Amino acid sequence: MKASKLYTPLVFLALLAVPIAMLIGEKQSISMDEKRKLAEWPSFSWEDWTSGAYGAAIDDYFDDHLPVREVVMHWADGVKYAWGVHPVVAERKVVVKPAKREPLDTSKAGSDSARMNYLNDFDESYSGEMLIIDGAVYTQNSGNPAMSPSFAKMLNEYAEKLKGHTRVFSCVAPLSSAFIPVEKYAHLRQRNKSTLEAIRDNLQGPLFCDVMGEMLQKQNQKLFFGTDHHWTARGAYCGYVSFCKAAGFAPVKLEQMTRKVKTGFLGSLYSLTRDATVREHADTFEYFKPRIEASAVRFGESNLERPMKSSVFCESFRGSACYMTFICGDAPLIKITTGVKNGRKAAVVKNSMGNAFSVYLISHYEEIWVFDYRYSKHVMLDIIYDREIDDLIFALGMYGAMSNGTIHMMRKLGEGGVGMRPRRTESDSIQSDSLIPAPSQIPAAPNDSVIPLVPDVIDKIENDSNGE
Amino acid sequence: MVFSSLAFIYGFLPLCVLLYYATKVMAIRNLTLLLFSYLFYAWGEPFWVLLLAFSSVFDYANGLLIAKFRGTWKAKGVLIGSIVVNFGMLAAFKYGGFLYDNIAYFIKLPFARPEVDLPIGISFYTFQTVSYTLDVYRNEVKAQKNFVAFMMFVSMFPQLVAGPIVRYNAVEDQLLKRDFNWDRIWSGVNRFAFGLFKKVFIANATGALVGKYLDTQLMDLTSPDAWIGIALFSIQLYFDFSGYSDMAIGLARMFGFELEENFRHPYAAISVADFYRRWHISLGRFFRDYVYIPLGGNRRMQDRNIFVVWALTGLWHGASWNFVMWGLYFGVFMLIEKYSMPVLNKTPRFIKHIYTLILIVFSRSIFYYVDFGQLQEFWRHLFYGRAALSEGMVLDLYNHCFLLALAVLLCIPWDEIFPSAEQRLQPAYKWLSLPAVIAMMLVSTVLLVGDTYNPFIYFRF
Repeated sequence: MKASKLYTPLVFLALLAVPIAMLIGEKQSISMDEKRKLAEWPSFSWEDWTSGAYGAAIDDYFDDHLPVREVVMHWADGVKYAWGVHPVVAERKVVVKPAKREPLDTSKAGSDSARMNYLNDFDESYSGEMLIIDGAVYTQNSGNPAMSPSFAKMLNEYAEKLKGHTRVFSCVAPLSSAFIPVEKYAHLRQRNKSTLEAIRDNLQGPLFCDVMGEMLQKQNQKLFFGTDHHWTARGAYCGYVSFCKAAGFAPVKLEQMTRKVKTGFLGSLYSLTRDATVREHADTFEYFKPRIEASAVRFGESNLERPMKSSVFCESFRGSACYMTFICGDAPLIKITTGVKNGRKAAVVKNSMGNAFSVYLISHYEEIWVFDYRYSKHVMLDIIYDREIDDLIFALGMYGAMSNGTIHMMRKLGEGGVGMRPRRTESDSIQSDSLIPAPSQIPAAPNDSVIPLVPDVIDKIENDSNGE
Repeated sequence: MVFSSLAFIYGFLPLCVLLYYATKVMAIRNLTLLLFSYLFYAWGEPFWVLLLAFSSVFDYANGLLIAKFRGTWKAKGVLIGSIVVNFGMLAAFKYGGFLYDNIAYFIKLPFARPEVDLPIGISFYTFQTVSYTLDVYRNEVKAQKNFVAFMMFVSMFPQLVAGPIVRYNAVEDQLLKRDFNWDRIWSGVNRFAFGLFKKVFIANATGALVGKYLDTQLMDLTSPDAWIGIALFSIQLYFDFSGYSDMAIGLARMFGFELEENFRHPYAAISVADFYRRWHISLGRFFRDYVYIPLGGNRRMQDRNIFVVWALTGLWHGASWNFVMWGLYFGVFMLIEKYSMPVLNKTPRFIKHIYTLILIVFSRSIFYYVDFGQLQEFWRHLFYGRAALSEGMVLDLYNHCFLLALAVLLCIPWDEIFPSAEQRLQPAYKWLSLPAVIAMMLVSTVLLVGDTYNPFIYFRF
């Protein structure tokens, strides 16, 4: 038989097998590897067809649902690595381009919302130059002292409103650029420091946590992940210690907690760079569990009626989702109840950096309310008064404090909800490369439903909870 | 839709082949191919599909009318009408803004600048339909009476949006009668896989480097970086366009058509004239047959004819003075070569090759920067920039050294150096072709997953 008579049908059958496998295979809705929602099969509309959007959406669907896609993407990294030789260069820069499409549409919050919220923290539209040093990625953001007074002013307003009732704390974490282990980037460290000092100098009433000062004392430790934009549990511990010093508490030592480790964490910065060297330096995800009994529930965007079971530590998250271990990722509002029967209560206003911080607080409070200013439409001040909250802690990554838009969200949180984000101003544009959510990523209209978790995540949480 | 998309490779193509070969009736096969071609075009350009349909129907009718009135002034009138309408459409859609800008430079126009998106492939299919009516008028081909066959000739998706520009006489016999041949289909699959590999593995990867150096702040660009950057663009352009042509030829073979070659190792050329006998051959042939020879060719006013052809070639590529300059640049060197032939003939082949490469690579800068200001800035860095490779470029060259070596190897005309090798390798081809196709398709797929949309450069023409 002719070879061509055998080969040709074989190849076409193989080509046809792909869409068939796509049809019958398990559908994924989110790529944890890329931190974005995968394209859905588009519903036909004449308008979309005539604009070309329908065809483009099918192209996207094929791109996103190829069988074993995430494995194939890792192969792609390998193929690109094979393009050349890779001399050992301790330091280099890579240019990151924006993601090919909107990462997530939270207006369609459904069963995947819990994951979506976590992913939403990360701005996929980030573009610009990133540093790779010894396999660790650093963005070159370094804060903006000119924005610090605005942030401090918002905290001062809260302190004024809550005077005599609740203490207000500013626990803003520096960016990883403050800890680049190469002397020529010392100016980035200085700028981080100046930004935080400018916050401190403008506070009138709120207490200042010297997070950076504490971190500088521990800079021989790994304080930020190399493959993700978050701080590590050790970095967050520095934030916790600085908070304790400001609050007059004795911090619990790490040795008094249970240490756990997960390996192979490739986070957001790896997703952006897809760099083979970074992949080779996957992070070890280490975390510390205070030996305190604690349980958690999460609420939807704006009501307290239908709490959903959650956990302080979701231990089953692995791989690129390791950071979701802390309070199971972002949610508009989480309530943690602990076995500490001292009557003290705290509220935390945070972005995702605050997740790793909040878990340490269970040693000091009976009740902790964790508000994510990006998603919550709850009236925070009502909760603070109703629940007799003692301490209000703003625990966030500096990128959240450096934009008029996010400061506005935190200010609005007192009276309820993020609402619409104000238009970007000149001063915002200075931080245009910061890792803040793009306007399109801010949840749209209020949604009274509780944000449910994906079923398999619920199971895992329950297993985790049982194990605690 | 583009060939280098997963939706095309794993959805559109196998489905089209399956339905096409589901019947042995040629009329149904043609209809299938026609419908898929319109779907292919409408995928990204749903509105402009009407323009494509109009152009096809219009010249189908023109062909019949020319045949009917052959030898009379009416036939000439129909031909002129066809040329005016076709080039009028091209002028309106492609050159409207350009004409407006140039007229408005001298006089104030009472209307706003027309802002119309360029319909994809208009330069290609317009030339095809015009060449058809011209050939019918010259009585070189018979007017096609089968409507579906003619519509398919114009819109056939393998070559619709970026060529090769198919002359009607090249496929006339194949429109209504095509043999089923496993070997031809398999060679089409091979050619398609090879073209896809060239586009995805080489052109896209090189393109990422090109953007890094040529799209960034030019003030930081050193002279060696500028030269390497534009050389990389030359590689990208070749593998992008020739990859597309390979895919087009391969796809056409899958459906029983045999298209003419569009590239023949152009970077092995030893003169500018030689280069353009090897690069975008179908376009060069069109201008030769329909402009250069009618103007008098090399018998009458050859210098003028060369300039006219090259100015038009430049304009065909884009509505910008840059492209005209680019065309005239080659016109000048064509003339220089013509008058220095005795010297060139004595020059060693290697020197001629280097001379050609430098001219071609340099010309790519005119092609790359449509903005004159940017172009001037780039030239300043090309010739007067700091004479040092940047650290980033050194690292990029290291990181891509195997890829670039492969690109260079694929530019070498091995079939010209070892003419008998193909025959000798035939037995091995039988066994190696399947693993080669699988490897190329797999690597291309792997690189396409998660990649950003990356259309072919020649789509914009």
